[in-house]
Amino acid sequence: MKCRVCKQTAAVALPSHHTAFCPACFAAYFARQVERAVHNHRLFTPEERILVAVSGGKDSLALIHQLAGQGYNVTALHLDLGIPNSSGPAREIVAAFCAAHGFTLRVVDPAEMGLSVPEVKAAVKRPICSVCGKIKRHYMNKIAYEEGYDALATGHNLDDEVARLFANTLRWDRDFLGTQGPLLPAQGKFARKVKPLCRLSEFETAAYCFLHDLRHGATACPYSKGASFTGHKKLWEDLEQRSPGSKTAFYEHFLTHGKTAFAPLAHKDREPLQDCRICGAPSNLETCGVCRIREQVFAVKEKAGADLCGQGREAKNSL
Amino acid sequence: MITVHLEPEGQTLTFDTLNTVLQLLHKVGKRQSQALVIRGGELLTQDRKLHRGDEIVVRGVTSRG
Ligand code: SF4
Ligand SMILES: [Zn+2]
Ligand SMILES: [Zn+2]
Repeated sequence: MKCRVCKQTAAVALPSHHTAFCPACFAAYFARQVERAVHNHRLFTPEERILVAVSGGKDSLALIHQLAGQGYNVTALHLDLGIPNSSGPAREIVAAFCAAHGFTLRVVDPAEMGLSVPEVKAAVKRPICSVCGKIKRHYMNKIAYEEGYDALATGHNLDDEVARLFANTLRWDRDFLGTQGPLLPAQGKFARKVKPLCRLSEFETAAYCFLHDLRHGATACPYSKGASFTGHKKLWEDLEQRSPGSKTAFYEHFLTHGKTAFAPLAHKDREPLQDCRICGAPSNLETCGVCRIREQVFAVKEKAGADLCGQGREAKNSL
Repeated sequence: MITVHLEPEGQTLTFDTLNTVLQLLHKVGKRQSQALVIRGGELLTQDRKLHRGDEIVVRGVTSRG
């Protein structure tokens, strides 16, 4: 296969675009896709400060590397979730990567604030990935808003977006269908959220990392079996194989035709937001979801402590 | 013989005869869009020929949390 542009041997074939590129032309294609997303959806401007959530996975590393390469003012934000065998290596990868590329790195440790994922998992009955996602979004928004960043960028790619849109469509979830997309404008205490990789597949971000020698994390989260949309992604892979371009068409047509129909209905029945009595974050109850989770974790710990004391007392009495 | 390392599974397989990357992907049950195929620092498209003695890495691209 030859590169469509320069006719050298191709390194990356993209059936969904009926094309293939050599490494240099692929880099130019990748940059163009990001530029297009930023420009078409007005995600941010070169003057703005962007906080980029960097997990250590391929998408977030590719994202900050590309945005910095395009001259944007980026700062990395990493959340350490205290997940055994996963968070430690991820944090090291991000620290080394940011040091090597000269990116300012901000690390936040929800684990130190009583929210390590294993403890949360033990205290909360809901699926851990949905709770973990809530904690991540809470802290990312908090830092972006309180520290005055113009936008919070995440590495969601086309496959992530398609799988999420598909799940929202299966439920006809009008709140999400009215707001999902590469841009969620700032509102109240919610920072602007942007997804500049929304035109690129996970194959493309993986190829980008390989060709730019970006070493990303390979240690999976031990809870990732419950991670979202893996089944949906497989379904879409089948569809894409049979009919290349389906993913892009589904997502882009949603943005141009579908979303506008749902937008007026989104969050119509939502209670007005108030400030959480503990942390001040926007919340529909007096205490926000994350502070409630923290309370549950403390309650479980206190009970375990009390049980241990009780056992100690019983042991002493029996002597 | 062709040696194939599967990532992130950490498995190593060997094949006596394999002509192309496409055949290799079929053998390991992956689609073109699901894995990078790497030989000596180079990314290979699915039409590329494989040779006796090749060491290949097949790196899955799906995020795992
Ligand atoms: S796989 Fe689930 S628990 Fe693990 S980091 Fe992702 S969302 Fe959190
Ligand atoms: Zn080229
Ligand atoms: Zn709170």
